[in-house]
Amino acid sequence: MAYSEKLIDHYENPRNIGSLDKNAEDVGTGLVGAPACGDVMKLQIKVSADGLIEDAKFKTFGCGSAIASSSLVTEWVKGKTLDEAGTIKNTDIAKHLALPPVKIHCSVLAEDAIKAAIADYRAKTEKKTVEAEESAQAAE
Amino acid sequence: MTMSTAATTASETAVCWSCGTATADTTTFCAACGLVQPPGQSDHFARLAQPRSFDIDAAGLDRRYFELQRQLHPDRFARKTAREKAISQQQAAALNEAYETLKNPLRRARYLAQQRGVDLPGEGRTIDDPELLMEAMERREALAESTTVSAVQALESTAQEERAGLLQGLSAQFAANDKSGVRAAILRLAYLDKFTEEARARRFNLGASGQ
Repeated sequence: MAYSEKLIDHYENPRNIGSLDKNAEDVGTGLVGAPACGDVMKLQIKVSADGLIEDAKFKTFGCGSAIASSSLVTEWVKGKTLDEAGTIKNTDIAKHLALPPVKIHCSVLAEDAIKAAIADYRAKTEKKTVEAEESAQAAE
Repeated sequence: MTMSTAATTASETAVCWSCGTATADTTTFCAACGLVQPPGQSDHFARLAQPRSFDIDAAGLDRRYFELQRQLHPDRFARKTAREKAISQQQAAALNEAYETLKNPLRRARYLAQQRGVDLPGEGRTIDDPELLMEAMERREALAESTTVSAVQALESTAQEERAGLLQGLSAQFAANDKSGVRAAILRLAYLDKFTEEARARRFNLGASGQ
């Protein structure tokens, strides 16, 4: 099977491999996996005070297409707002990397990962807001 | 007279394509004329004359498989008609598929779970089980950080113990028809088997590089 140059490049020189502190308040973590192939993918975003994704890291154990898909997503989301990052579709990933049909599910997983990271960040900030309101009320 | 669908699958009737005698769907060779029959619709368990259970008689499975494989060997069809050759190849393919599915615990569990109507995730969409995913991630990280054969072996033996426990659990869960338990155990087993495969490769690479 012939893989595209872009895919091979992301696989051989993955961007943004690594981890961010998952307990930090400005970090959202998405941990996803598809047991059918035994893949597990972690994608993290660091969000600035003005709501932009200033950093993104990933760690993926899986096939080359899964690694390339998550690498590409970290590259794409940097500098985007959460809403913008949330619109990334697996079809965009698959098209950019020219994934073969049998590997489309890897791009689906990468889309799930960024969505999960955004949801995690939002849940954290909501919780913080609720806690702040509660302590404000308690202080009254 | 049908008693239950599960019990009748194995004895669905067909008709010999050559002599027209009624045969069971699982029949490999017509009892009347002796000609090879198409694979039919029988499931993997019926094809290998095994009860539909997660607990498998491995020796019995092997015996039945090799017996049928011998009967379907291409040499035996060298001087038969093109149609018989083609049918025997279909039978051999169905037989191999059945054997490989039942022999491997994960594949057998998935197959039996599907028969029992357990909803298993396909490829693609993520599973919603953060604890399992976290464990799978940590295990793979530990493997990636292992730099000696013995370190990999230590991880492998922990995984093997967990696997043995999972298989025992699956046996009980299938017997009790505990669908959610079966589902959870299959997902866990899938990650463990993948880990084991990766660990073997890593150990081989480390060993080959002389470390």
